[in-house]
Amino acid sequence: MREKHATWSALFAEKRATLSSYFLRRVAHRWDAQDLVQEVYLRLLRMEPADAANILSPEAYLFTVAANLVKEHAVLRQQQPLGSDELEHVVEHLVAPSNVEADVDSESRRRHLASLMERLPPKCRAVMVMHYRDELSYREIAERMSISTNMVKKYIVKGLAACRQRMADYE
Amino acid sequence: MNELTQLDAARQARRITEQAAAWYIEQQEPLSERQRTAFLDWLRASPLHVAEYFAIAQMHGDVKAAAALEKLSADELAEQARHSNPIVMFPRVGKAEPGTRNPQPARRSHIGLALGGVAGMAAAIAAAWLGLAPRHAVPVQTVAQASVQSYAGNAAGVRALTLSDGTLIQLDRDSRIEVRFDAHQRRIAVLRGHVLFDIGKDRVRPMLVDVGGHVLQDIGTIFDVRRDAAGDTLTVISGRVRVLKAQTPPAKGDELPPPGDSVADLTAGQQIDLDVSGTSRIHTVQAAQATAWLPSEISFQHETIGNVARRFNAYTSKPLAIEDAGIAGQRISGIFHANNPQAFVAYLATLPDVRVIDAGDRIRVVSVSHETNTKAGQL
Repeated sequence: MREKHATWSALFAEKRATLSSYFLRRVAHRWDAQDLVQEVYLRLLRMEPADAANILSPEAYLFTVAANLVKEHAVLRQQQPLGSDELEHVVEHLVAPSNVEADVDSESRRRHLASLMERLPPKCRAVMVMHYRDELSYREIAERMSISTNMVKKYIVKGLAACRQRMADYE
Repeated sequence: MNELTQLDAARQARRITEQAAAWYIEQQEPLSERQRTAFLDWLRASPLHVAEYFAIAQMHGDVKAAAALEKLSADELAEQARHSNPIVMFPRVGKAEPGTRNPQPARRSHIGLALGGVAGMAAAIAAAWLGLAPRHAVPVQTVAQASVQSYAGNAAGVRALTLSDGTLIQLDRDSRIEVRFDAHQRRIAVLRGHVLFDIGKDRVRPMLVDVGGHVLQDIGTIFDVRRDAAGDTLTVISGRVRVLKAQTPPAKGDELPPPGDSVADLTAGQQIDLDVSGTSRIHTVQAAQATAWLPSEISFQHETIGNVARRFNAYTSKPLAIEDAGIAGQRISGIFHANNPQAFVAYLATLPDVRVIDAGDRIRVVSVSHETNTKAGQL
């Protein structure tokens, strides 16, 4: 399950083939990004309770719905079917033409994010760096910081949320 | 009422961000069945949640690379943390908090959306929602008679009001109306500006709208009134409106003149210019043209389908009639293009037990089984 989560995250985040940046860059119409979220949301609403209960990974379901919509949209816009149902193909297809631009963009985002992390409260910053840079487990971090593993998790959540809010201001 | 300040909006946005981050971190371990249900419920509670979850996932991809740029060692960071104030000052770090020091109207954050990705989106959706949320009606002027209420438009944008009889009113900037309701009749005077009326049903008390020397009699309809230097204009979006000549106003200031002879009858898509000397010929217009001043998007949070449909009806001469009370009462959240009621109709058609019938002059939304369908968990 953990690998699965990481895979989805990698596809949607690390490759920078995010839904929004795809829509914003390629379609240049801000409504499409909102439409996508809206459409994903409506599909979630329409789920039968019985189906909802059977979903083993809601997150994977969420991303799959979004990926399929991105794909449908790409098909509609380009009037040609994509070769494969594989999410990877869709992602590759979407990012390929504007890779250089995306990399530059991505580099400046990372630097900005790093400066935000530097300004987190010291404990929060230490936990974030130990977790994301040094890849220490919650338990290892807890021992070094003399706090509970539960607190480690809380610091990570708060660190992410603080960064996300600041990034939203930045963007 | 649900008047949200910018501070509330900022607080709400922050809470959603924290929830999204917490759910994102939870996924690192397999979720229990209860957690799965809770996570789905959270996603289904609002499109803001979906947008924010995507945004966190998006940002998370950069976090590892950003953390790698940190120059201090783990020991140095731990040492710093030991000497720091034990109180976590989250989230008062770095720059000013959004909302507290930003004097711009919330709607401005659309700019953030234009520049950013999903990242700016949640804020913009929140702002759009904020801008359109029904505002608490504040009487800005009290006339001697207690039953007269005066409403003025906001400088920031179109203001939506719901009156006690269910009438929906949209007021443009620099507009002013006076509302007088009593046991026998409902009267609204348009003093100036641009106003859209969606008249609530009341079989006992007719609705009369005063526009200068004319009185408009509503027969279950939506219409647009513009009063400015160029004169008075009435546009009927749907239904029928009768225009009457007002009788000579009485000397007393707070009494409206009784309606006199009928001078014109207008139906959907028709427009007429009114002035003291009389009325122009009736001409045909596009509903969308007459209501172009209204916001281009309809956004709503946990609103009944019946009310959402009424919002759409301000933009189309082919109104949506939600005939089944069970359907009309279901609550939904979302954002739609106002000029695209078809998208909303298409959405309604996907709901269980809903049938959409194009009846020519209107679109009927009926229940297939005539049973009220309020399956828990469906919405």
